Amino acid sequence: MILALLNSILDAAPPLIFAALGAVLSERAGVVNVGIEGMMRAGAFAAAVAALVMPTPLGVLVGMLAGAGVAAIHGWLTISLRSDQVVSGMAINLVMLALGTFLLEAVFNSPSSTPAITQLPLVFGHSPLTWLALVLPFVVHFVIQHTAWGLRLRAVGEKPQAVAAMGVRVGPLRFGAVLLSGALAGLGGAALSTATLDRFEHHMPSGLGFMAVAAMVFGRWTPLGAAGAAAFFAFGNALRIGLASSAPQLLEVVPKGVLLALPYALTLVVLSVQGAKNVAPAALGQPYDPELR
Amino acid sequence: MRKALPSILSVISAILICFIAAGLTRDFGTALDAFTAMLWGAFGDWPKFLETGAATAILRPLGEAGTKAAILTFTGLSVAVAFRVGLFNIGAQGQLAVGALAAAVVGAKLEAPGFLHITLCLAAAALGGALYALLPAILKLKRGVHEVISTIMLNWVAVSLIDNWLVIGPLRAAASGDNSISGTDQIHATAELPRLLGDSSRLNLGLVLAGVAALATWLFLTRFTRGFEWKAIGLSQDAARASGIDVDRGFLEAMLLAGAFAGLGGAVLILGTELKYPATLGAPWGFDGIAMALIGQGHPLGVLAVSTLFGGLRAGGTRMQLFGVHKSFPELMQGLALLLVAAKLMWERLLRTRGTP
Repeated sequence: MILALLNSILDAAPPLIFAALGAVLSERAGVVNVGIEGMMRAGAFAAAVAALVMPTPLGVLVGMLAGAGVAAIHGWLTISLRSDQVVSGMAINLVMLALGTFLLEAVFNSPSSTPAITQLPLVFGHSPLTWLALVLPFVVHFVIQHTAWGLRLRAVGEKPQAVAAMGVRVGPLRFGAVLLSGALAGLGGAALSTATLDRFEHHMPSGLGFMAVAAMVFGRWTPLGAAGAAAFFAFGNALRIGLASSAPQLLEVVPKGVLLALPYALTLVVLSVQGAKNVAPAALGQPYDPELR
Repeated sequence: MRKALPSILSVISAILICFIAAGLTRDFGTALDAFTAMLWGAFGDWPKFLETGAATAILRPLGEAGTKAAILTFTGLSVAVAFRVGLFNIGAQGQLAVGALAAAVVGAKLEAPGFLHITLCLAAAALGGALYALLPAILKLKRGVHEVISTIMLNWVAVSLIDNWLVIGPLRAAASGDNSISGTDQIHATAELPRLLGDSSRLNLGLVLAGVAALATWLFLTRFTRGFEWKAIGLSQDAARASGIDVDRGFLEAMLLAGAFAGLGGAVLILGTELKYPATLGAPWGFDGIAMALIGQGHPLGVLAVSTLFGGLRAGGTRMQLFGVHKSFPELMQGLALLLVAAKLMWERLLRTRGTP
């Protein structure tokens, strides 16, 4: 039972972990990214389509590129044009939601899903993306905490003027972080359509992008915290699905909807207890205008 | 009017982009047919009316367009009034769900004469939505939690609890005979919003309510002291506070009103079209409200105009299906229009360079 639960976490967590790491990268650079949901959708769709004509691992790369491509729109709007970051993110979500449905119908004549592809081959009983999801949080942690680029990234999220005074250009640095964020969200989406399932389904990622944002907040904007929270939320999901088959009588006591609401409610509780102001990057959400001091 | 120009250009560009996309995936003749069909489906099939003289050719589309426009107007106003004090209400979706459930429960469980019953349902929905919006306002004032994050979380809390627990559990409709019914109990006939154009069209009182709400909000924001205070808070909290305006009260009041509007949107959906809380609410009406508010430049009458346009296009979208174009196509137009409106600086630069010789 415990082993089965562990296995189902290992299968369910990667999309959420990748997306949460993506959210961390963008927001630590000072750019709010609530468009993670849309970027995941782009990655899931592109990966599933690409894998029809090329080997699935290459398809995953295409999914990452698609996520980064959508993130480029976000970067252009928020960094180059200094638009409201939340507006841009929500607009991206709305566009991707509709675009995915449109392309599904236009290209595949199907309202529900793309044709099946060969899933990623298993390594030690799990998708290679599972193992990647176990390693990547530490890599991102190292990059952010122990490299020069990571230091600049954090600085640009706290006080962009200081970074500019150092002679580093704020725009390209933030743009790079947003692109990486999109690539990771795309990877999360690709994990859904190439590892969790073997096709793109019309509802993907059905709110996982928002759950990734919740995981990032829950993990206090740190890579390890966010990944831990993502794994914890995935554990909740796995537990719920596991309970439904093994102990349905327990779900009578704790209804499914309550379990579904729990990650979001917990994030809210943690936020209200600690107060959000002290942990979020100081310059989060503020466009950088070099002409202002 | 000059302020509206970027929005108008954005909507036109979005429609053009979508037309080209439809043309490229099918062919341009089909795309033209599909878009014409959408237009007739949105604002009445006038050629068919002139040919056959059947009034339903106009009344039915207008009904579908009007019911959608009413809901979009309410959620758009919800986002717009919060914007006025500088708050971003992403939570209209959750507030709408709470309002919809309140309306469905009062409509089904309570018995009252016609007019009173409708009023009670609307009041319950407005109250439910308002209270649910009060939570992020309090969290912001007392604990410093940013309203964008708290409203995102509260959306999913509401939708999970309602769709995956209440509606399939405690509030599920009693099965009649063999067929189990999804959603809650049907509301009583006394709680249904009266139809305005007879039985052939679903156009109901909701559109009138939405229009009145938009007009009243506009008057409130431009003609009343409190409306100006809200504007002052939105422009600069510090300046507002320095001139003796109670900023915290402004936040609370604006969020209460925002929640009430979203809740009323839910009520119009339930009392006008669904007649019960269905298994799922269908469209992300609350998120659409963000698009309505921003394309409408936060102006109540702008919201009403944009909602009427997209309510119509979305109603007409179902007719595009006959030409192999998905019915969610108008939603793509709406999303693109929002994306283009968000590129505010781009329009400013474009329009400025054209203005100077």
